[in-house]
Amino acid sequence: MIDLISILHQPDVRPIRLFPLTDPAHWIAILDTKGLEIACIEDPTTLDAPQRAALDAALAKRHFVPVIRRIVAITRAPDGHDWLVETDRGTTTFRIETDESIQSLGGGRLVIIDKLGTRYLVPKMTDLDRESRRKLERYY
Amino acid sequence: MNETSHCVLQLKSRQAVRLTITATTGLFAVDSVPTLPAQITSQTHEILLQHAEKQLVTGERIIARLLIDLDASLHFHGGLIVLTNARLLHVEASHFQDWNLAAVQDLKLEEMGATAAIHLMHSEASVWHWRITSGHLREVEAFVAKFKEQRGTATSESDESEDDEDVFSAEEPITETFTNLPLLRLFKFSSKWYKLMLLGFVLTVASTGSGLVGPWLTMSLVDDVLIPLQTATNDVLVGRVYHFMLMLAGAAFVTWLLQWATTYVISRVAERVTSHMRRATFEHLQKLSLTYFNKKRTGDLISRIGSDTDNISLFISVDFIDFACDVLTILFTAVILFSLNPMLAFAAIGPLPIVAWLVQWVRSHLRGGFAAASRAWSAMNSVLSDTIPGVRVVKAFAQEQREIDRFREHDQQIFDTNDRVNRTWSFFEPTISLLTDIGLLIVWSVGAWSVAGGNTTVGVLTGFVLYVGRFYGKLDNMSRFLASAQRAATSAHRIFDILDVKPDMPITPGMRKVGRLSGEIEFRSIKFRHGSRQIIRGIDLKIAPGEMIGLVGPSGAGKTTLVNLACRFFDVSEGAVLVDGQDLREIDVVDFRRNLGLVLQEPYLFFGTIAENIAYGKPDATRAEIMAAAKAARAHDFILKLTDAYDSMVGERGQHLSGGERQRISIARALLIDPAILILDEATSSVDTETEREIQAALDHLVKGRTTIAIAHRLGTLRKANRLVVVENGVISEIGTHEDLMSRSGTYARLHQAMVEVNAA
Ligand SMILES: Nc1ncnc2c1ncn2[C@@H]1O[C@H](COP(=O)(O)OP(=O)(O)O)[C@@H](O)[C@H]1O
Ligand SMILES: [Mg+2]
Repeated sequence: MIDLISILHQPDVRPIRLFPLTDPAHWIAILDTKGLEIACIEDPTTLDAPQRAALDAALAKRHFVPVIRRIVAITRAPDGHDWLVETDRGTTTFRIETDESIQSLGGGRLVIIDKLGTRYLVPKMTDLDRESRRKLERYY
Repeated sequence: MNETSHCVLQLKSRQAVRLTITATTGLFAVDSVPTLPAQITSQTHEILLQHAEKQLVTGERIIARLLIDLDASLHFHGGLIVLTNARLLHVEASHFQDWNLAAVQDLKLEEMGATAAIHLMHSEASVWHWRITSGHLREVEAFVAKFKEQRGTATSESDESEDDEDVFSAEEPITETFTNLPLLRLFKFSSKWYKLMLLGFVLTVASTGSGLVGPWLTMSLVDDVLIPLQTATNDVLVGRVYHFMLMLAGAAFVTWLLQWATTYVISRVAERVTSHMRRATFEHLQKLSLTYFNKKRTGDLISRIGSDTDNISLFISVDFIDFACDVLTILFTAVILFSLNPMLAFAAIGPLPIVAWLVQWVRSHLRGGFAAASRAWSAMNSVLSDTIPGVRVVKAFAQEQREIDRFREHDQQIFDTNDRVNRTWSFFEPTISLLTDIGLLIVWSVGAWSVAGGNTTVGVLTGFVLYVGRFYGKLDNMSRFLASAQRAATSAHRIFDILDVKPDMPITPGMRKVGRLSGEIEFRSIKFRHGSRQIIRGIDLKIAPGEMIGLVGPSGAGKTTLVNLACRFFDVSEGAVLVDGQDLREIDVVDFRRNLGLVLQEPYLFFGTIAENIAYGKPDATRAEIMAAAKAARAHDFILKLTDAYDSMVGERGQHLSGGERQRISIARALLIDPAILILDEATSSVDTETEREIQAALDHLVKGRTTIAIAHRLGTLRKANRLVVVENGVISEIGTHEDLMSRSGTYARLHQAMVEVNAA
């Protein structure tokens, strides 16, 4: 068994999720400085508490996929659409370019990739409120 | 008939049946065979066959027959070669010749471009020959095969009836019954939802009927209330005005409700039908072999499934229901009009014959127009599906303007055909309006005269005017229906065109399942042609389970075709492909292909995540399996670097991957299904050497323990191969290990030398 805590303390070693959208809780790979995999953890819950805490901390540091809670407004812009949304990380605006920027991952899960490459997640379309769904439906 | 029954006794039951049929149709009497017309017709075959049958002796039966269409000087001329268990017969209208099977040696086929010659050989010399157009080569080959088989058994006569099925079926095309009535077929197609349709129909009748109540009430209103009111100011009657108003409002409300229900129900039927149609068409397309797709333009197929079904939906949901309402309204009003006042009714309907004539005229003009419009749409879709994926080539050669022009030309065609159609029916509508006005004019004048004469009341006249207005208004609608019906008929025709294509490799449920194969492949003297071109000219090769074969040879030699045959994308024209000793044509093709891993030069990724693409051949694969496959294919490392790792979207609209990366994903895809047979068709030809090394390492992993056929131009790729097979011009020219072939200094040595030189330069 590798010592996760000390590995994760090395500079430039980072954990990544192999299935960040469809299965973020499993399959975490630890990459070395060159981006090669040095370890792969299928289920982090099998780790002991301190290791798991270290892993979660390292993941949290890098993880940024805001979850959309409510769509306030979608307005037409010259090259796409401007979205004003409330997420679990606060209210924000972003611009998406084409309809293809909204991708379905199955089971009502949507990922929205904005012009700058940030990913926004809608975990379940049916969980959004009625207004938000109406707005979303026009584009997806 | 005596003659007939006499013959029947001598012949196999199969021929007995056809003989009886021809005799009863009365086209020809069996004992006096008619003379043959100069040109080849559909009856030529029948007539020649009868000529031939007359020549048969007792105990002789027909094994196979071949219709030839040329004479020795290459003029069209019908002739029939018949193979029996004892003889070969040649029948023409004025010529008959026969050879004993024992006295001839062989039939030899010689291809001569658009035509071919069949030589009858005896002691190595051609004693006779026939000519035939190359379109019939498949049948010729089947016939020659039967001949060889029969000559082999000619001495030891076996009486078991053989499966001459394919020879017969190849000659007799399936006749289609419906082709000319696409709308009728459309109706049959929708008969599954007859309950819903019935409901729609009942609702239509009800809503039409309730729509006609209004004028009737108006009539009473005028006669019983308004006129008395005007003449004798009677207060009591005012209450009845409210009464009538209420009833009118009620009628309007009920009509509204019924129309709403009708429209919804019918639209639902329409959606059901077209959705069923789209699915059926797509399902059918999936069953068709590559031969079909090779012939078809993608854009045309897309437009058939897309816009043609849409036309049909629109027709059923909007126009057909309107039409039904219209016809009912017209009938109802006609009845009402005549019951009210036959003379007035007669006058009102006066212009009807003109309308009938107009309808006929418009119909004939629209028919061709819509077929042309549909074709124009297809052509434009083809341009789009050609140009958009090829946009890089377009830009690279700076041919944007040319594509714009091409598009414009096709768009112009759509415009022109639609314009033509519009011209016709833009004339139709105002004409009907004019006729309506004329009809009303007649009613007013005849009515006024009639009221003055005391034959009619003002109320009846009012009602009449209202009804006549409706009557003609509905006729006007008919023009729209005509247009739509014609368009829908054209569209339905185009859809049924696809549905009527018989899969040439039908997936019959009864076929033998093979399960997991050990992976032995045998090509047994196979020949194959694309159309009239012979691509594979006789290949014999047996590949042991687990063996790796390297296929090399100049481009166009037939290597890809050979592996396509092993995958059964096409069927061989002669010989057989066997896997684990079983003929490919006799086993369940879907089941067989589960044993196949295929990596092509141009890997195709579907739109979806990387994980989905890897798991394409095994959708229920676990994430662990997907990752194991990716690791073995050396794809894992680059996948890690993508933002969404295995969840990254790839394919047409997804993230752009390099050729080598896509290739490795397709290798992972092949690896995941753990195939018994692996086919690599120039899998590494389009990548750089560094990536090739990576892929090579992945492949080394992949070929272990499976039968592998690898095609490669870089001969180094094949260093693991047990045997190298050099294919040239559709035949195997050399076979052996690398060392064997090098020492032989043949084609392989030359290819190798050329490669070394290129690398050195
Ligand atoms: N669908 C097709 N229709 C007609 N000819 C074809 C078709 N596919 C391939 N061919 C011809 O068959 C020959 C062999 O092709 P192929 O097997 O692809 O060669 P290669 O050895 O380069 O893989 C070529 O001359 C090609 O023009
Ligand atoms: Mg090829």
